[in-house]
Amino acid sequence: MLSIKNVSFTYDSGTPALSDVSLEIKDGEFVCIVGHNGSGKSTLAKLFNGLLLPSSGTVEVNGMDTADDEKTLDIRRLVGMVFQNPDNQIVTTVVREDVAFGPENLGIPTDEMIIRVDEALKAVGMESYAESAPHMLSGGQKQRIAIAGMLAMEPEILVLDEATAMLDPMGRADIIRIVRDLNREKHITVIMITQYMEEAVGVDRVIVINNGSIEMDGTPAEIFSHGDELRAIGLDVPPAVELRELLKSRGIADCGSAMTLEEISDNLCRSLLKN
Amino acid sequence: MPIVIEKLTYTYQSGSVNAFTAIMDVSLTIHDGEFVGLIGHTGSGKSTLIQQLNGLMQPTSGKVLVDGFDMSDKKQRAKGRALVGMVFQYPDYQLFDETVYKDISFGPKNMKLAPDEIDRRVREAMRLVGLDFDEFAEKSPFELSGGEKRRTALAGIIAMYPKYLVLDEPMAGLDPAGRRAVLAMIDDFRKQLGCAVVMVSHSMDDIARSADKVIVLRDGAIFASGTPAEIFSRSDELYEMGLEPPFAARMASELKRHGFRLPGGIYTNEALADALAAYKGGDLNV
Repeated sequence: MLSIKNVSFTYDSGTPALSDVSLEIKDGEFVCIVGHNGSGKSTLAKLFNGLLLPSSGTVEVNGMDTADDEKTLDIRRLVGMVFQNPDNQIVTTVVREDVAFGPENLGIPTDEMIIRVDEALKAVGMESYAESAPHMLSGGQKQRIAIAGMLAMEPEILVLDEATAMLDPMGRADIIRIVRDLNREKHITVIMITQYMEEAVGVDRVIVINNGSIEMDGTPAEIFSHGDELRAIGLDVPPAVELRELLKSRGIADCGSAMTLEEISDNLCRSLLKN
Repeated sequence: MPIVIEKLTYTYQSGSVNAFTAIMDVSLTIHDGEFVGLIGHTGSGKSTLIQQLNGLMQPTSGKVLVDGFDMSDKKQRAKGRALVGMVFQYPDYQLFDETVYKDISFGPKNMKLAPDEIDRRVREAMRLVGLDFDEFAEKSPFELSGGEKRRTALAGIIAMYPKYLVLDEPMAGLDPAGRRAVLAMIDDFRKQLGCAVVMVSHSMDDIARSADKVIVLRDGAIFASGTPAEIFSRSDELYEMGLEPPFAARMASELKRHGFRLPGGIYTNEALADALAAYKGGDLNV
């Protein structure tokens, strides 16, 4: 469990990034954090594994305080992070070695490590690339390798800090599918920071950050029923919700809380097509 | 005068065993003031193609003419290149100076403009990209957020008044408001300075909002070229290619499959709502 209590964070330059944020993320949750550029969401993500330490307040992972030096390694192993730029996360010249880099540093025995690396590559669908050169891969494939590198550490929490921002639609869809499977099948807690509202549609919980504070916290259906408020803070709703709003405001159809193309389609077939 | 690409082919490591042809026999014209959206899956040749536009790469065969300047010719290339401003996907790689002001003034300085003209252009460019002069001019580019870096990179290019502005994924990594703002800014800049825009983007919703013409690349060749309505009415084909057509186009296509009779060329939610309004009273229902 990740527990954040009354956390404030101010950068050395004096810019306050977070003020008095409290938040609990339970084991096995799939959470999306959204907020405009500069809202403080990336700062928040870096607090989760102690890459940044709060200026005041506490961050605890399974009861361990990230400010406790002796717990740093344990926390880094429990909380895996994947960042935006795929090129900055590759450290070796062979995919297999790249995935092994983390567990190697943890001193995992070789036999065990080989198993972990194979499993991690399989989980992200990259097993046939084990001996490839990372720099020859596409951005989406590099991100899958970065996720595999984290999985090989057997984390309990996976944090993706805009990990899909630079990918093409296929690459993005692959990553979302992979982390959804990891969440469902391996019960890894997933915290996904994103600018793409449609990525938040299928998750358990959406947290909206604005100006360093939590603005909203609820299910996707709850959050996306506040379209005007989201737009007012530089965000948006998924395109399906935008269409739903338009159809409702023009009195054409009421699609309830539909958030996907399929849901809208079903709804319109029922309400407008009378065969 | 336009940019004319004639039978362009580009092969990486030409002549070696690793030779790879990224662009094959592509011909197209970018007219003055036009907004061209370039789409295609990863590896379709988009990046290779746009790097030909300012002579960063030269054709293996065929020609790239920028306002008549042949980009294969060293002397003419310099003149052609001066007309084409490029902004890349990762702004981090494009920023290098100590302050935002110095970074933006780098290009105009190289053009040997008078100091007060440079100052005027830097201020104008910062205003156009929405960076407050007092707040940002003396900041280090490395202190900026992703969106601010991108604005700075864009300002540095537009301060050179390019006749053709080439943008590689200019909205990637930006929040929804940031995406709208950058798109509006590009439109603004295009109107004020009359430049043509070539924009590469995975976001077809963004392309749908702005482009006059859409070019779809597939495996290094032009798969389709036309107005957004023409291109996005083929949303099923685009989807098959691994592209993500605008939501409204996919939605319209799905509804048609279920028996809705909708006009072709729908690619915005507004147009889709207009078309569905006809069903409201039930008069079109059979």
